[in-house]
Amino acid sequence: MTQLSRRHAIAGIGALTAASTLKPRRAKAAEPVTVWWTQGFYQAENQAVIDAMAGWEKVSGTKVNLTIMNGPDLISKVIAAMQVGDVPDLIHAVTGDRFLVPRAAWDDKLIDLSDVIETQKDEFHQTALANSRFYNAALKQYSYYAVPIKCATLMEQTWRPMIEEAGFSDADIPKTQDAYFDFFQVVQDKLRSKGKRIYGLGYSMATKEADSGNLFHSFLVAYGGAGIVLPNGKLNIEDPAVRKAAVTALERLTTPYKKGYVPPGAINWGDVDNNNAFFARQIVMTPNATISIAVAQMEKPDQYYKQIITQGVPDGNDGKPVPSLVGVSPCLIPKGAKNVDGAKALLKAFIQPNNLNTYLKETRARFLPVTMSIIKNDPYWQDPSDPHRPIAVQAGLIKPTMPWWMTYNPAYSAVLSEQIWSQAEANITQKNMTPEQATEEASGRIKAIFERFQIA
Amino acid sequence: MAVSLTIDNSALAPIAGRLVKRGGLAGADRVWALAFVTPYVGIFFAFVLYPVCYGLWLGSDPASYRQLLADPVYPSAIVNTLLYLLIAVNLKLFLALLLSGLFMRKGWRMKTLLLIFILPWAVPGIPTFISIHWMLNSQWGLINNAIWELFQTDGPPWLDNSTLALSSVIYAHIWKWLPFWTIIFLAGRMAIPRELYEAAEMDGASSFGRFIHITFPLLASLYLVCTLLSTIWALGDFNSVRFVSGGGPALSTHVLATLGIRNAFELGNPALGMATVLSALPLLIPLVMLLMRQLKKGEVQL
Amino acid sequence: MSVASRARLDRRLVDASVAMVSVVLIIWTIVPLYNMVRVALQEKEDVFSNSVFPTTVTWHSFETAFRESYWLLANFWGQMGTSFYIGVSVAFLTLAIGTLTSFTISRMKIRRGWMLTNAALLTYMIPMSFLAIPFYSIMGKYGLTDNPLSVIAVEVTFATPYAIFIFKQYGASIPQELDEAARIDGASPPQIFFRIYLPLMAPALVAIGTYALLLSWNEYLYAFLLLSSDGNITVPVGLGKFLNSDEAPWNYLMAAAIIYALPPMAIYYAFRRKMNSGLTMGGVKG
Repeated sequence: MTQLSRRHAIAGIGALTAASTLKPRRAKAAEPVTVWWTQGFYQAENQAVIDAMAGWEKVSGTKVNLTIMNGPDLISKVIAAMQVGDVPDLIHAVTGDRFLVPRAAWDDKLIDLSDVIETQKDEFHQTALANSRFYNAALKQYSYYAVPIKCATLMEQTWRPMIEEAGFSDADIPKTQDAYFDFFQVVQDKLRSKGKRIYGLGYSMATKEADSGNLFHSFLVAYGGAGIVLPNGKLNIEDPAVRKAAVTALERLTTPYKKGYVPPGAINWGDVDNNNAFFARQIVMTPNATISIAVAQMEKPDQYYKQIITQGVPDGNDGKPVPSLVGVSPCLIPKGAKNVDGAKALLKAFIQPNNLNTYLKETRARFLPVTMSIIKNDPYWQDPSDPHRPIAVQAGLIKPTMPWWMTYNPAYSAVLSEQIWSQAEANITQKNMTPEQATEEASGRIKAIFERFQIA
Repeated sequence: MAVSLTIDNSALAPIAGRLVKRGGLAGADRVWALAFVTPYVGIFFAFVLYPVCYGLWLGSDPASYRQLLADPVYPSAIVNTLLYLLIAVNLKLFLALLLSGLFMRKGWRMKTLLLIFILPWAVPGIPTFISIHWMLNSQWGLINNAIWELFQTDGPPWLDNSTLALSSVIYAHIWKWLPFWTIIFLAGRMAIPRELYEAAEMDGASSFGRFIHITFPLLASLYLVCTLLSTIWALGDFNSVRFVSGGGPALSTHVLATLGIRNAFELGNPALGMATVLSALPLLIPLVMLLMRQLKKGEVQL
Repeated sequence: MSVASRARLDRRLVDASVAMVSVVLIIWTIVPLYNMVRVALQEKEDVFSNSVFPTTVTWHSFETAFRESYWLLANFWGQMGTSFYIGVSVAFLTLAIGTLTSFTISRMKIRRGWMLTNAALLTYMIPMSFLAIPFYSIMGKYGLTDNPLSVIAVEVTFATPYAIFIFKQYGASIPQELDEAARIDGASPPQIFFRIYLPLMAPALVAIGTYALLLSWNEYLYAFLLLSSDGNITVPVGLGKFLNSDEAPWNYLMAAAIIYALPPMAIYYAFRRKMNSGLTMGGVKG
C-alpha cells in the first residue's frame, strides 16, 4: 500500500503530460480521485503508476489519492468495500477480470464504461475488448464494465543452464504439448542422475490464486476443450470433446506430480512461490502468467539475456497452434464512487496509446499492451535483441488468442474462485480418484454454479 | 497475570451479601457510577451489539446455508475445527498445567528458563507463524534441511499432507499460546497456601499424591474456566491457520474462521462467509453459557 | 540404603529430569525464532539454500530495514509509529475502561452489575475474527474507514471483557473496609478510584496492559481490513505485502519482523518484576 510519493513526482511528469489535450473541465478539478491499484511484483511497477498519477495531477489539477495493495488483498478489500458501499473511485485489479469484475457486473455493482471504451474502441485488441464485456443480471444485457489496461497470456520460463547440464540445447525443447511436458521429465532424470535435487516441472497445483487455474485451462484448450462455455453463456461441459479434454488435461497434469516430477509443495504454492522456486533453482521450468520472472532479473544481464528462456505455450499435439487464453488486467469504477467523472477523465487519458505505452514501458513490460498501435509504432515491443518481450507479444497478441469464459457467463468466475479444477487435481493426487471421477465431480459442481447464473 | 484462587471466601460472604442487598446508590454516587460505566456500555452497544446484530442479519439468508452445505470443503472445515479445538486446547492446557509445576521450582535457572519460555507469547504472531511456515517447507525448510544433514533423507512433507498440515497448525497454536496459559496456572499454583503442602508432606504424601490431592482439586475449576476461555478464543483463531498452512493442501485444513474469510472475501460472498462462521453458534452458545455459570459460582478466581 | 542417601538419589533424579525437560523446552521455544534469525542474517539469494546454519552471516538486511532502503520497507518506521500509536492507545483505553467498569461493578455495587459482567462475556459469543465482515461495514457507517481509530476500537472491544474479568477477580482481594473508611472521611467515588483502587490494582494493571498491548501487536486481520493507505497501516500489514513479490526478499521481511518483535519483548522484560509481584500478591491474598 505504497502511497503516492511526491519525491518521485518530478520523474513522472512525462508520463501523462501528453494527456494535456484532454484536460477535464476545471470546475470539478478540486474533487480528488481515490484510486486503488494492484501492487507490482517489483519496484518499477509501482513507480510507474505513482509517476503516471503524479503526471495526471499536474495535467488535470485533480488530486489523486493512490493506494497500492497486493493482488489478492486488493480484491478482498474491494469486495468488502462494495458490500458496504464505501468504495474508491477507480480500481485497477490484476486478475480482476477473473475474480472481481464478472460477478460485480452481474450484481450491478459497476459503472458502465462503454463511453470510456468508445474513445479507443478501434485501437483495442479484439480479445482484450471481448474480455472487458460482461453480463449485468439486473439490466439483462452485456456491456463494458471494465477498461483493459494491460494483458498477458501464459508463458513458460526455463533455465537454459539446466537444459544444457542435462545434455540438451534450446533446439531440443519440443514444440508440441505432450512432447514438451515429457521433455522436462527426461531433463529431471538426467539431472537427478548427477545428484541434483531438482524438479523438472515447476507448476502450481494449488487450490488458491491464479497460477494453477491458468495452467489447467491452457491444457484444457490444448486438448480441445475451448468450448466448455458457449458464447451465449450456456455451459457445454457435457460435450464429449470438452469432457475428454478435461479428463486428459487432469491426467496429464497430475501424473507427473504423482511420479515426482513436480515439487510436492506445488499443491500449496501461491502465485509467487513458483517464481521463488525458480529463482532458487529448484525447478527447471515454470509456467507463469506473465514474463515477470525474466523481467525481475533485468538488472542481471547474465540471467536476463543468457540463462532464462521464455516461450509461449506449446502447440497442440497435432502441431497446430493452440489459441492463447488472454487475461486482461482491468480498470473499473464501482457504483457509489464519489467522483465518477474524475475517474473517467483519468481513465480516458490513461488509455491513450502514448500514455499507456509510457506506463507499460516503465513497468518494464511485464504485461503486454492492449492496443495494437503501440506494438506497431514502438520498436521496443518487438526488439529482436530482447529474448523475452517479443515472444510474449507474439504469444499474447499476434498468434490466435481467445478470451476467458467469464465474459460469456460470470459463473465461470465462480468456478475459478472456488478452484473447482484445482480441487479436481487434488482429488486425483490426494484422494486417488481417477481423472474420470474427478472430472465427473467437478462438472457436477460446475453445473450447480451455473444454476445460480442463468442468462436470460 | 493477576490471578488468584479463593480457597475459602465464606468469611467474606455475609459482608458481600449485605452490600448487595443494600443495593442501589444514592445521589452523586449514582451519577458517578453511571459516568464510570458509560464508556463500556457505549462500546458494548457500538462495537458488540450492533456488529453482532448486523452479522446475524447478514447471515440470515437460508440460501447461504444451502450453498454452504453443498460445498465439500465445509464438512472438512467442521471436522478440522473440532479436532483443532479438542487437540490443541486440551494438549496445550495439560502441558501448561504440568509446566507450571516445573516453574514453581526456585533458583535462577528456572527464572532464566521462564524468560526464554515466555518468548513465543511476547513475540508478535504473524512473523513467527510465517517463520514456522517456512521452517516446515518440505523442499528448503529448516527442519527438512536438518533431517537431510543428519540422515541424508527427505523429511516428511509437513505442509503438503492434510494430516501433517493440520498437526503443524496445532503445533503452531500450542507453541504460541503455551507460555500464556502456563503463567495463568503458575499464578494459580502460587495462590495455594504452602501450609497445605507442608501438612501433606508430613503425612508422607508423595509429590504425585500432593498433585492429585491438593494441586489438582484446587486448580480444577480454574482449569475448567481456562479450557472454556481458550476454546472460545481458539475457535476464532484465524492467524495460525492462515499463515501456517493457509488452509492447504487442497483446502483440507480450513477451520470455520478461515473458511468464513475465504468465502466472504476470496469467493466474494460476504453473506456466505457470515453464514459459515455463524454455523459455529450451536457450539459457541453452550460454551459461553457454561463459562458464565462457572464464573457466577464465584468459586474460581482467575 | 540410608534415608539420607536415598533422598540424595531422589533429588539427583529429579534434577536430571528437570534439566532434560528444560533442554527440550528451550529447543521447542527457540527453533521457530532461530529460523527467523537465520533467514534475516542471510543474503536474499541464500534464503533457499539447503543449510541449517547461515552460510554467510550478514547484517545487511537489518541495515536495510533500519534505513528503509528497500522498496517494500520504504515506510517501515511510519508503520512502526502506527503500530505504537494503536498498541499504546489500546492498552490505555482497555485499562481505563476496564478499571472504571470493574470498579463500578464490584466497589460501587450498582444494581444489575451482573448484567454488565455477563454482557462482557457475551462479547466472546462470537469470536473476534468472525465479526470481520460486520465490522468492516459498521466502520464505514461510523466514518472510520482507513482510520487507525477503527482498529483501536475493535481491539479495545475484544480486550476489555478479559480486563473486566481479571480486574473484578483481582479487586476482590482489596478489602471493602478501605473504601468504607474513605467514604466516612468524605471521599467521593473518583477519589476512591484514583487514590485507593488504582494503586492497589497496579500489578493487575501491568498484566492487563501487557496483554492488551500484545493483542494489538499481534493483530493482523482487522488492521488489514480496516486500514489501507500507507500512512495508516501497521507493521504486520506492511509485512504482508512481502508475500506477493517476485524478488523473495525474505531476509528483509524477517529482519523487519525481528525489529518489530523487540518492543513487546522489552516491555515484557521491563515489567516482569511488577508482573511477578502481581503474581505473588495473588498468592498472598489466598
